[in-house]
Amino acid sequence: MRKKIETLGILCLLILFIMAILYPALNIISVSLRSDDAFQTRSLTLWTDESSFKSYFTLFLETKFLTWMKNSFIVSFVVTLTGVVLASTSGYALSRFNFIGKKAVLFSILMTQMFPATMLLLPFFILLAKFELINSYIGLIIIYSSTALPFCVWQMKGYYDTVPPELEESARMDGCTRFSAFTKIILPVSVPALVITALFSFMASWSEYVVASIVLQDPELYTLPLGLKSFQASLATQWGLYAAGAVVVSIPVTILFIFLSRFLVSGLTIGSVKG
Amino acid sequence: MKNIIKILQYIFRSLIVTKNIVFLISIFIFFGCQSSNEITINIWHQMLYENRKALREVCDKYEESHTGININLIYRETEELRSNFQSAALGGSGPELIYGPSDQVGPFAIMGIIKPLDDLFSLSYFDQFLSNAVVKFDKKRWMVGDGVGNHLMLIYNKNMVSSPPKDTDELIQLGKSLTKDLDDDGVIDQFGLVWNFTEPFFYVPWIGGFGDWFIDESGKPHLDTESNENAFAFIKSLRDKHKIIPKECDYETANALFKTERAAMIINGDWSWGDYMGKVDFGIAKLPRISVTGELPTPIVSTKGYSINAHTKGEKLHHTVDLMKYLTSPEVQLHYVRRLNTQPSSLAALDHPEVQSNVLLKQNADIIKNGKPMPVVPELRAIWDALRGEYQSVLAGTKEPHSAAIESQRKAEEQIKTMNLVVQPGSQGKFIKGLLGLIIVGIILVLWKTKEKFLFAFRENKFAYLMILPAFAGIMIVVLFPFVYNLIISLSNFSLRTFKNWDLIGFYHFGTVLSDIRFYSVLGKTIIWTLINVSFHVSLGVFLAVLINRTLPAKKTLRTLLIIPWALPQYIAALTWRGMFNQEYGSINLILNKFFNMSPVQWLSQPIEAFSACIITNIWLGFPFMMVVALGGLQSIPKEMYEASQVDGASRWQQFCKITIPMIKPVMLPAIILGTVWTFNNINVVWLVSNGGEPSDLTHILVSYVYKAAFNLYRYGYAAALSMIIFIILSAFMVSFMRKTKLEAIV
Repeated sequence: MRKKIETLGILCLLILFIMAILYPALNIISVSLRSDDAFQTRSLTLWTDESSFKSYFTLFLETKFLTWMKNSFIVSFVVTLTGVVLASTSGYALSRFNFIGKKAVLFSILMTQMFPATMLLLPFFILLAKFELINSYIGLIIIYSSTALPFCVWQMKGYYDTVPPELEESARMDGCTRFSAFTKIILPVSVPALVITALFSFMASWSEYVVASIVLQDPELYTLPLGLKSFQASLATQWGLYAAGAVVVSIPVTILFIFLSRFLVSGLTIGSVKG
Repeated sequence: MKNIIKILQYIFRSLIVTKNIVFLISIFIFFGCQSSNEITINIWHQMLYENRKALREVCDKYEESHTGININLIYRETEELRSNFQSAALGGSGPELIYGPSDQVGPFAIMGIIKPLDDLFSLSYFDQFLSNAVVKFDKKRWMVGDGVGNHLMLIYNKNMVSSPPKDTDELIQLGKSLTKDLDDDGVIDQFGLVWNFTEPFFYVPWIGGFGDWFIDESGKPHLDTESNENAFAFIKSLRDKHKIIPKECDYETANALFKTERAAMIINGDWSWGDYMGKVDFGIAKLPRISVTGELPTPIVSTKGYSINAHTKGEKLHHTVDLMKYLTSPEVQLHYVRRLNTQPSSLAALDHPEVQSNVLLKQNADIIKNGKPMPVVPELRAIWDALRGEYQSVLAGTKEPHSAAIESQRKAEEQIKTMNLVVQPGSQGKFIKGLLGLIIVGIILVLWKTKEKFLFAFRENKFAYLMILPAFAGIMIVVLFPFVYNLIISLSNFSLRTFKNWDLIGFYHFGTVLSDIRFYSVLGKTIIWTLINVSFHVSLGVFLAVLINRTLPAKKTLRTLLIIPWALPQYIAALTWRGMFNQEYGSINLILNKFFNMSPVQWLSQPIEAFSACIITNIWLGFPFMMVVALGGLQSIPKEMYEASQVDGASRWQQFCKITIPMIKPVMLPAIILGTVWTFNNINVVWLVSNGGEPSDLTHILVSYVYKAAFNLYRYGYAAALSMIIFIILSAFMVSFMRKTKLEAIV
C-alpha cells in the first residue's frame, strides 16, 4: 500500500513537471497551426477556428523538405555509425589498458572542446577549401564525427570502468581472444552506454547548423537545419513554416529515442560477474 | 598476432562500410555538378521568402535564353551572409555575385573582397539608375541596386484609423484613443502604435525630425546633439507618459500585434507589405511631423544590390557581368513590381505606365523623398552599437537622455578608433616569429628523440594503440589546424584594415583583454551563468533519471516526453522562450499574474531579469541530456546491490548517497566536465534570448563577446586572443576539477 501511494506521488510530480516542460513545445505547435504566420501568441488554445495544417502541406509540397530530410538522414547515419564504432573501441582501450600517452590522449580530446567554436569556422573553411571538400558530405561528416567523439569516448570509457574486469578475464581463461572478449562479453553489457553514444552522435549532426552553413553551398545538398533556416529572415520570418518544420524535425529524434530507450535497461547483474 | 589481424579486419570492415557510403555520396555529388562546358554562376543573397521565388523565376528565364549557364542561388540571413562571404573570400572562393544591403559595401571594399565596377561596365550603364542605387565608396562604384527603399514609414490599419496622423500631437491623441483595455482585466489588449523601437535603425529617423542627423558627411558619429537627446526623451514619453506603445516590443511582437489587429499603427519598412497583404487592410504614410520642430522624421533609404566577388576572373567574369546587367535591367525590375511592389531603381522602369499607375508605389515615392541615404562606411556598425547601448539604458531608466547622448558619442568614437586601429609589427613581432620557429623545431626534435621509446611502447601495446588511433587521429586532424591558426591570429594585427596583409605583432591583444575591466565583469557573469546552469542540469537530470528508472505506469511515455526539449531545434526553442518572456503578452507574466498575483516583470529590458531569462531557457534546453546520461549510468548498477543494502536496513537517501552516486560517477563526470565547457561556450541561447546582448550589452557571456568583436567590429586578432584566454581558463578548470573529484586517479 505504501509503495502504491509513493508511486502515485511520484507520478503526479512527474506529470506536473512534464506539463511545465511541454508548454514551450506546445507553443511551437500552436504557431505551426496558425494561419496568421505570427510568432507571439497570447492564448494557449492549440486549435482555433482559423487553425489549419496549411503550413505542413506547404512544407511537404512546395519546399524541398523531403530532400533535406534524406540528406540529413545520410549524414546523421554515417556520423552515428562512425561515433559508435570509434568510441566503443577507443573507450575500451582507454579503460582497460595502461600505456604511454594515455593521459595525454584523454586530456587532449577533452581540450579540443574548449575553444569557442565560432572562431574555428574561418580556419575550417580554409582547410576544407584547400582539400576541395566544400559542398561535400565528407567534410561535414569528418567535422561532425570529431565534435561528437570526445564526449562519446569519455562516456564509453566511464561506463567500461564500471564493468568489472573479472568479466573478460574469465572469458580469456576460457580461451577467448582479447578482441572477441571485447565484442562478445563487454559490448553486450555496455549497450546502455552505446545507446547514449548513438543518440548523442545523431543529435550532434541532426540539428547542427553553423558548420553546415559554411560547408554546404548547394541547395540540393542542404541538410534539415539549413533548409529550416531558409524560412527565417531577420525581419520577415515564415513562422508557420518554420515552426511546422521544427515540429517535423523533432519527430525522428523522438522516434529514435523511443527505439533506443528499449535498450536503456540494465545489462549487468552481479550474477554475470560470478558466472 | 592473430589478435591484431582480427582487429585490423574489424577496423577495415567498419572503414569499408563508411567508405562505401562516402564513395556513393561523392559520386552522387560529382554527377550533380560536373557536366561538360557548363558554367555555374553562384549568387548569395538575403532576399525574403517571396522575393526569392521571384528571383528564381527571372533566373530560370535567363538560363533558358543562355544555354550552358547555370545559376545557383543561395540564401543566407543578412548577418550570416556577411560573415560567410568574408570567410569564403578569405579562403579564396565564394560566389561570383553577392546580393545584399548597401551598408556591406564599405567593409567589403576595404577588405578587398569585392571588385570595383567602374572598369567592368560603361558609364552609360550606371546612368540608367537613380543615383542612390549605384553605391559609391572611396570614389569608386561597388554595387548596383535593383530597387530602392528599405525605409521606415507609418503603416496603419484602415479599419481602425481613418486618416493617418499628420504630426506627433495628433499621433499621441489618436494613439491614446486607440490604446484600450477591452475586457477590463488590467492588461491592455490593443495599442495605438507599435514598432521595434529599441533598435537604432528604427530610432534614428526621429533624430532627423528633431533637426540633426546621427552621422556627418565624412562618416563620423554625430550623437552628442540636442536632437538626439530630445528624440530619446520623446520615445520614452510615448511609452511612459502617453502610454501609447507597449513597454517591451521587439520586431516580432510588433508584427504579431499589428497582424492580429491588436495594434492600430506600426512603424515598419516596405519589406513588410507582402506579409500584411490579405491579412490587414492597410495604408501607408510618412512618419508624423514632430510638432515641436515642425519637421519631418527622416527614415534611412537604402538600396539592395549586386556586387562582384574579387576572385571572379576570365570567362566567368564576362558571364557574371552579363548576368548582373540582366538582373538589374528594367525588364526584371518590372517583374518585381508586378510580383512584389518593389520600388524600381531603373529610370526606364520608373517611367513605365505600370509603375506610374501603382498607387502604393506612388505614395511610397513620396515617402522616400524625405529619407536620407544609408551610409556605407564600416564605421556605421560601431555607431549603431554605441547608440543601441545608451538608448536602451535610457529606456530602462538607468540613464538621463542628456548624459546618454554624450556617452553614446564618446563610445562611438572609441569603438571606431579600436576598429580602425592597426598595430604595427615591431620588435616583438620578430621575436614571436623566431619563437614560433623555435617551437616547431623543438617539437620535431622531441618527436625524433622519443621515436624509439614510442615505437617500443607501441609494440608493447599494439592492441590499445590501434583501437584508439582512428578516433584520436580524426579528432586531432580536425582541430589541430584551426587551433594553430587561431593561435597565430591571436598574435597578429588581423582586423578590418589588414584583412589581406596582416602581420604578427605579439601579445598586444592579450594585454588589451586582460587590462580591460569589462573582461572581468563578463567573465564573472559567464561563471555565474555556467554554475547555475550546470548545477540545475545535473541535479534535475539525475533526480528525474532516478525517478523514471523505477517501475512506473506509462514509464516509456513519460521518459519520451521528458526529452522533447532536447529533440526540438535549439534555435526555434530559444525564440519561443523569448516570446514567452514578453512583458505584456508573454505567457510567463500571464501565469505569474494569474496564479501568484505578481505584477508584470520586464524580462527583456532589465539587465538582471534578461540574464535570468537566458538562464531559465538554457536550463530547460539542457537537462534532458544529463537525464539521458544519468539514465544510462544507472543501468550499470546491479539490482542486487540495492537489495543487499535494504537487508542491511539502509534508507532511500543512504542508498542514493552510498550506491547510486558513486556508481554513476564515472559516467557523469565526463558529462559534467563537457557540460560545463559547452555551457561556458554556448552562444546560441544568450544571443537569441537577449537579442545579441540586450539591454545595453549587459547580458553577454564571454563567447558572445568574442562573436561581437569578431563579426561586428571585424577585430579578428582581438577575438582570437580572447578565445585563447577562454581556452586556458577552461583547461585550468578541467585539471582542477579532475583533481578535486579524484577523476585523475581513475585515469
